[in-house]
Parts: sequence; C-alpha cells; structure tokens
Amino acid sequence: MKELTKFQKRLKFENKVASGLITLGGYGVIVSVLLIFFFLVLETLPLFWKTSLEKDFEISGKTPISIGMDDYKELVYQVYENGIISYYNIKQKKNIKYDTLSLSAGEKIISSSSTLERDEIAFCTDSGRIINASILFTQEYRGNSRTIGSKLEKYGDFSGNESGKSLENLSFDKNENGNKFWVWTNDKKNVFIKIFDLEEDSNYTHNLTELTGGTKITASAINAETEVLFLSDENGEIFYFDISDYESPELKSHWKVSNNEITAISFLIGGNAMVLGSKKGEVEVWFQIRNENDDLVFTKTHVFENHNSEITKIVPSQRNRTFITIDKLGELHLNYSTTSATNVKFDNEKKGIKLVEFSPTADVIIVADDNSKIGFFNLQNEHPEVTVNSLFGKIWYEGYSKPEFVWQSTGGSDAFEPKMSLIPLIFGTIKGTFYAMIFSIPIAILGAIYVSQFAPKNLAAIIKPVIEIMAALPSVVIGFLAGLFFSPLFEKNLLLILLLSTAAPILFVVIISLWGLIPEDKRRKFSNTWELIFVFIAMVLVFIIFWGISEPLGTYFFDGNIKNWLYTNFNIGYDQRNSLVVGIALGFAVIPIIFTITEDALSNVPKSLTSASLALGASKWQTVQRVVLPAASGGIFAAIILGLGRAIGETMIVLMATGNTPILDLSLFNGFRAMSATIAVEIPEAPVGGSLYRVLFLTALLLLIFTFIVNSLATYIGDKLRKKYARY
Amino acid sequence: MKINVNVQNSLSASYTTDLSKEKTILETKNVDLCYVPQVKTLKNVTIQIPEKKVTAFIGPSGCGKSTLLRCFNRMNDLIPGISMKGLISIDGIDIYSPEIKLEELRKKVGMVFQKSNPFPMGIWENVAFGPKVNGIKEKAELDEIVESALIQADLWNEVKDRLNNSALDLSGGQQQRLCIARALANKPEIILMDEPASALDPISTSKIEETIDELRENYTIIIVTHNMQQAARVSDYTAFMMTGEMVEFNATSKLFTNPEKKLTEDYITGRFG
Ligand SMILES: Nc1ncnc2c1ncn2[C@@H]1O[C@H](COP(=O)(O)OP(=O)(O)OP(=O)(O)O)[C@@H](O)[C@H]1O
Ligand SMILES: [Mg+2]
Repeated sequence: MKELTKFQKRLKFENKVASGLITLGGYGVIVSVLLIFFFLVLETLPLFWKTSLEKDFEISGKTPISIGMDDYKELVYQVYENGIISYYNIKQKKNIKYDTLSLSAGEKIISSSSTLERDEIAFCTDSGRIINASILFTQEYRGNSRTIGSKLEKYGDFSGNESGKSLENLSFDKNENGNKFWVWTNDKKNVFIKIFDLEEDSNYTHNLTELTGGTKITASAINAETEVLFLSDENGEIFYFDISDYESPELKSHWKVSNNEITAISFLIGGNAMVLGSKKGEVEVWFQIRNENDDLVFTKTHVFENHNSEITKIVPSQRNRTFITIDKLGELHLNYSTTSATNVKFDNEKKGIKLVEFSPTADVIIVADDNSKIGFFNLQNEHPEVTVNSLFGKIWYEGYSKPEFVWQSTGGSDAFEPKMSLIPLIFGTIKGTFYAMIFSIPIAILGAIYVSQFAPKNLAAIIKPVIEIMAALPSVVIGFLAGLFFSPLFEKNLLLILLLSTAAPILFVVIISLWGLIPEDKRRKFSNTWELIFVFIAMVLVFIIFWGISEPLGTYFFDGNIKNWLYTNFNIGYDQRNSLVVGIALGFAVIPIIFTITEDALSNVPKSLTSASLALGASKWQTVQRVVLPAASGGIFAAIILGLGRAIGETMIVLMATGNTPILDLSLFNGFRAMSATIAVEIPEAPVGGSLYRVLFLTALLLLIFTFIVNSLATYIGDKLRKKYARY
Repeated sequence: MKINVNVQNSLSASYTTDLSKEKTILETKNVDLCYVPQVKTLKNVTIQIPEKKVTAFIGPSGCGKSTLLRCFNRMNDLIPGISMKGLISIDGIDIYSPEIKLEELRKKVGMVFQKSNPFPMGIWENVAFGPKVNGIKEKAELDEIVESALIQADLWNEVKDRLNNSALDLSGGQQQRLCIARALANKPEIILMDEPASALDPISTSKIEETIDELRENYTIIIVTHNMQQAARVSDYTAFMMTGEMVEFNATSKLFTNPEKKLTEDYITGRFG
C-alpha cells in the first residue's frame, strides 16, 4: 500500500512536470512568434514618425549674410555684411576667432551664393565686386581630444558691373574639375556669365542679354556638373541655357511656367530637379523630361503647400531632396521633393526668418532672424523619402517620364535617390507564386490521386519516399540548378519546352486514351506493370515526337528563332532567368508539400465510402471524382495553401533563378524580384537604422502577415470543408 | 440451450419453403477462393439462391460468409493476390466472364454494409448517387427514384422535409435505412446485406427487419447475420457455413427445427461458435 502511494506520488509529480513543460513549450512558441512580430514592427515604425523641429539653443548676433557649420556641429561661422567672419564655438559658447574678407572702406556684401556642398562661396558687394572664398573646417587630434579649426581661403575677385549699375541675382557653382561659373545681372536686365576653365586656365565672360531679350530677371541658378543655367523672369518664364560650350553659351529653350513672377529658383541635389518659388507663394518642383520626340520638356512634377507670401529663398539640403523655402513674412517650410510633402511649417514665433542653413548632416537647421538671434534647431527627419504613398503608390522620380512604382534602393552616386516602392516586390512574389502554383498544383494533385487511388501498392511505395526526398532537397540546390543549368537549357530549347508544357500533355492524353480502346476483358489481362510500361512508352514517344518536330517547326513558323519572333511580333522580351524557369523550380519545392498532404488526405478517406460507391456501380474514376475528392477537399485545400505559403516565403530559389528585376510585367519570359529575395540580397548592404534597412523590415513584416493570413485561411477553410465532408 | 424459433411466423408461413420448387436466380458451383495462395477461404461452395426470397447466411466468425457475399458483386476483385475458381452465375450468366461489365453487375446486385456508410452529402444526393453514376441525369426522374427508394426503405416520412440536409445528421438506424434506400435506387435484382443491423439498437434493428420484410416481394435478398433469431425471423432460407464450406442449406423452418447435419444442430443450439 505504501509503495503504491509512493508510485502514485511519482506519477503525479511526473504528470505535473510534463504538463508544465508542454504548456511552457506551447506558450513559448506563441510568445516567440509575437516577439518576432513586435520586433519587426519596432524596427519599422520609425519610418512613419513625423518630422519634428526642436530648438536646441540660440546665440545673439546681427543677421549674417552667410552662415555655416562643421560636420561635428562644434563650430559655426557667420559672414557679416562688412566682410568680418566670426567663428562661434558651440562647446565653449563663445566666439573664438575672427577673419575678414578685407573689403574696401564702406563696401558692403549684399548677397552670397555657394556650391551645394558649401565648399566655396561667392559674395557680391554693393560696389559691384564679386569675391570668391572658401571657409573650410579642419580637424586636429591631440591624444583623445579633437579640435575643430577653420581656414579662410580667398580666391580673388573681379568686377561684375559696368559703370556703377547695381548687381543682383548672383549664382555661383563649381564642378569636380574645378571649373567655376558665375552668373549675375546688372539692373536686373543685363545678364552676364563668367566661366573659369581650370585646365586651360582661361576665363570667358559673356553677355546673355540678347538671348533673354532684356526681360527683367528675377532669379538664377547654375549647375556646374550638368553645365546648365536657369534664369527666371518677372513674367513667369524660365530660360534654359546650355553652357557646356564655354565660348558660346546657348539658349536651349524657354518655357512659361507661371502667370506669377518667379522669385526664387534652385537646383536640388543631383541637378535634375528645379524648385521654383513665386511671388504668390507657390512652391513647385519641375523636371526636365524627354518626350517622345526626344525633346526636353520642362514639366511640373511636385507641388507643395503655398506660402501665401512671396518666396524669397530656397535652400536645398546637401544630403537628400529636402529643401527649405522662406517667404517674405519670415516663415519657413521644410519640404521633401519626391513625396511632394511639406513636412514642417515654422515661423520661429513670428520673428521673421531671414536666413536658413542646414548642418552638413542635415540634422540641425540654423535659423537667423530679424531680432539678431541665431537659433539652432534639431531636425528629426530620418526617413523623408518613405511614406505610405511612396511604399504603395506611384511616385514621380527624377529621370522618369511619369509617376511609377519603382524599386531601386541603391545607386552609384551621393545624389542617387533610393526608390522603394513595395509594389514591384509584392507583384514579384505574387507572380512567382502564381507560376509556381499553376505548375505544381496539377502535377502534385494528379500525382497524389494516382498514388493513393490507382497505383499498385509497390509502385506507391517507391513514389512516396522519392517525393519526400524531393522535399528534403535544399532550395539552394534547386535554385542553383535552375539558375545555372535549366535557364540556359530552356533558352536554347524554348520552343520544345513550350510545346512540352502545352501540346505534349494533350497528345499524351490522346495516346493514353488509346489504351481504353482495348476491350476491357483483354485489358484486364495486362498487369499494372504493363500499363505502366505503356504509359512510359507513351511519354517517351511524345517527347521524341516533339523533340523531332520542334526544330523544323521553329524554322518554318518562327524563322528559326522563337525568341526573336516573339519580340518582333509581340514585343515580348526574353530574359534567360525568367518566370518560366522559376515557376518550375519553385514548383519543385512546392510539389512535395502539396503531394504529401493531398495524398494523406485522399488515403484517409474511409474505405467504406469508396466501397459504397463502387458497390453502387460507380467506376473507379467516378468514385474518385464524386466521393474521394469531395471528402478530401479540406485536406487538399490545406495542401494547396501550405504550398502557397512555401512559395511566398521561398527565398533561395527565386533569388538564384530570377534576374531579380523589379519590374511590373506579367510575362512568363521576364524575371521578377520577390520580397524574400530582396530582403536576402539587400539587408547586408543596408546601413543599420537607415531607410532601406527599415523598409526591408517592413517587407519582412508584410511577408509574415501574408503567410499568417494564408495559413489562417488554410486552417479556417480547411476546417469548414472537413466539417462538411469528413464526419464519418 | 435450444433456441426457441417461431417458424410459423405469420409473415413467412404462407411462402413455399421447398427449395426444389424455387426458381434459382444466383448459383455458385464449386467455388474455391484463396486470399493467400494455397489457403482456401472458401472450399467448394455450391449453392442455389432462390429468386425473390430472403436467404440468410449464418456461421461462426471467420467462416467466409462475407467473402462469399462479396463474390456475388465482385467486390473481392480489387484485393491483391486473390484467386477464385469455380462458377458463379446470375440468371444463368457467368458473372466472372469477360463480357460482364462490372458496373452493370453491381447495379444489378446491390450491397448494404455492416457499418452504415452514407456519403458525406445530402440525403437526396446519397440516394441519387447510384442512378447518377449509372447515367440518369434528369432531375424529375431522379426525384421520383429517390422518393420511391426512400419509401421502400421506410425512411421517406422521416426525411422528406430535409432531403438536402447532410446524411451524417441522421441516426444510426436511419443511416442504415438510407444505405438500403441508396441500394434500392439502382433498382437491383439482388440485395446483399452483410450484418446490416449488427451495429444497431434493438428498435432500429426491428425497423430494418420490417423493411427487409417489405422488400422480400420484389427483391432477392441475401443477408449475413450472427443473430440466429434474426435469421429465423426474416429469412425464408438459411445457409449454414463453416470453415469455408457450405454445410447445410435449407428452408429456414427446417434448418432451425430439424437440421439435417449434426454440425448445424450443434451450431444452432449454441454448442459452439
Ligand atoms: N481481404 C482479406 N485478405 C486476406 N484475408 C481475408 C480478407 N478478408 C477476409 N479474410 C480472411 O478470410 C476468412 C473469412 O473471412 P470473412 O470476412 O469472409 O468471414 P465472415 O464469415 O464474414 O466472418 P464474420 O462473421 O466475423 O464477419 C477469415 O479468416 C479472414 O481472416
Ligand atoms: Mg463478415
């Protein structure tokens, strides 16, 4: 008795431990899935944070002409109208040094223009001088401490006016060869351009007034890289000059862009987009787009919130497509070109903003106002290029002739703009899945029907493990074979492959049905083995027939090259790694899943039901059709959905067997770029915390949600069908 | 214990119970059957089943009753490795001859299984299944067939208002009668029943027996049963089998009251089996 209770105690204890462990395991799975989900959400959320501008500190000082800051945000220079440059150290909270541009007595700087990189500045003075200088920051390391210093370099000056006329609209830029360009006007009418060719060490000065027709010029912008000059006039016209021929700048075009006077223009980074600000406060971005006739057309692509007051200044960021516009009333707008978004509107407590500058990293904005204060504001604007619209909508990118869904996350230059529309990736995933499913569903389900219902036991005993081995094939191997072996093979024998996948099954069925012509009693004498041998012979025969005719057929109908024929007649291009190859390769990964589960479902249909059907005089096939398939429909449905889930999530195969081209094209002969493959390819290159990094996490999150929905659907509908058909 | 068999049962009393006067519909001659080579499950079975009568097969478990029954609609055909010798004919035609179409044979010889096995479909669909697979397409005609089959199986009144409900919602006894209706819908000549009531409660069982009783006029029924009272109640003739051999085949009244073979007597008096 005592021993029994001891035993019972142990049993009780063991039960408790076991059920505890099992419960722990169950909850553990749920918790870890939730954790993954929350982690993905956490990494994704910053994409959608609002832009914010927060005051950090402010210093006193007269309103400068020009202002700048070093990379480490330690030193700020201010250039005043009397030519004095003061350097303010942010850590020490005081001016540490002064420089001077050495103006003549009484001379005053009235405006300045700098390169986008802010590495060289041109000043113009009220006496008509144009002075070039650069204020560069230096870093000195002593032990562990870093000191930021500065260096003023004066590059000389020249006179920019004839006989005491006023000088305005100065624009300056320098290209990577060191060639410099200045443009300015006298009396707002007479336009001059000066070009300095470093290599030739020669200067060119041209008067462009004849080309503009003497209209009143209101703003100018030069891009030294692309060697173009834009001028705007009071009638809302834009003049576009090609200045690549230094000896004779050419007026290429002029366009009427507004009924209002254009009061400020500026290039954005990259030199493709031009921001226009008007007297009425309109802010627009325009692209030069080539039309069908290959002419450049100036096209309005993005419109921003109106200032309701004359635009006085446009300040482009040197990091991305962010730019600030300031109006006459001293309010600033922070805009992001690509998304047409005005992210911040700010009037600094109505103090009248006069001058704005970005820090080199664009996370600080320096604002000088009328009240002799210079404020430093922290800008939270990590992912301006990502919005719900940019992820899922059409966006008009620079260099494109219309708004499009584009995925192109990395590019060669600093000026490259990441384009991260998820639509091509979602489309790619759906396309790959679709082709994989139309390839695999018929094969897997017909195979399962054959094996579970018709095949002799010993054959089924061979087929099933073989297919299970197929499931164990690493997808890298399938992808590798598809990409490197089958792609070229398919390309070489395209017509044969097409025939084999369309006409061949039909011919095969025709041949097989000949078997049915043999009277039933004779047929019964043949064993299953003979039937199989017949099927096999039919298969080989069909293959040989199509192999034989594909070449003459190709020569006769398709001029010997079906690829060219498709292209010239239907404009269908052919990529070597295309959806046909991937569909089949991905199908190989999916077939074992669908086959195995379907086969199980079919085999689990109780024998009593098939017996009942057969006993009622139904043929074997009728029984399969009317009893077995409906009864197994829940399982078959679940099999298809699980296969679908696998196809959606599959990475290696789509990665290796497609060209990974993010295009929106249903064609069987094009590749695609799937979500999973994109994550795999791009995550190693994505800087942690950057926009691409977070967008890839968002992609992963979407994949997770996709597969979650698909699997829930499978469970739900599978259950319903099972309830309906499978209560034995 | 001597089984108290009421052979003067009011229902069967009026029938001739003389085998030699009956018209034979199904006949087996020297049937041997092996599931496994060399092991005879049926041994030299010869029997003549009379038309439009109820014939019961009795015998100890494993003696081959079901096996023999399945020979009649060739449900054994698909069992791998099976071999059969001898002759089985219906209306004088060898049902194993190459000219016979399996589907036609099974239409002619219906079967009701031990465990009710309605399809997971509606009641109407279940009954119409046979006619449909045998090529009848017209709804009106099918409706008629379904109704008459359900009436014959004594189920019509219970299900006529819910013909589209799932057959799986019926009770066990109703399900079995549905299976009988399903077999009847094919308008068979012979109905094979393999222990049709063995899984049912007494009330359902008696309902099935009543149904069988109503069918005897128009159909030849062969019923396997372990319940000897049931055999006595419903059958006109009874065949007693043992270890694959047909021991005795006689009018039920005779076999139960005055068996010719000692073996039969031992079995029906419960000395073994
Ligand atoms: N499919 C089969 N394969 C091999 N042997 C079988 C098969 N079906 C039945 N048998 C064997 O044949 C013999 C007769 O079986 P059968 O089912 O005909 O007996 P039965 O008289 O119907 O028995 P019960 O009254 O228990 O139903 C048994 O020994 C059984 O094991
Ligand atoms: Mg049996």
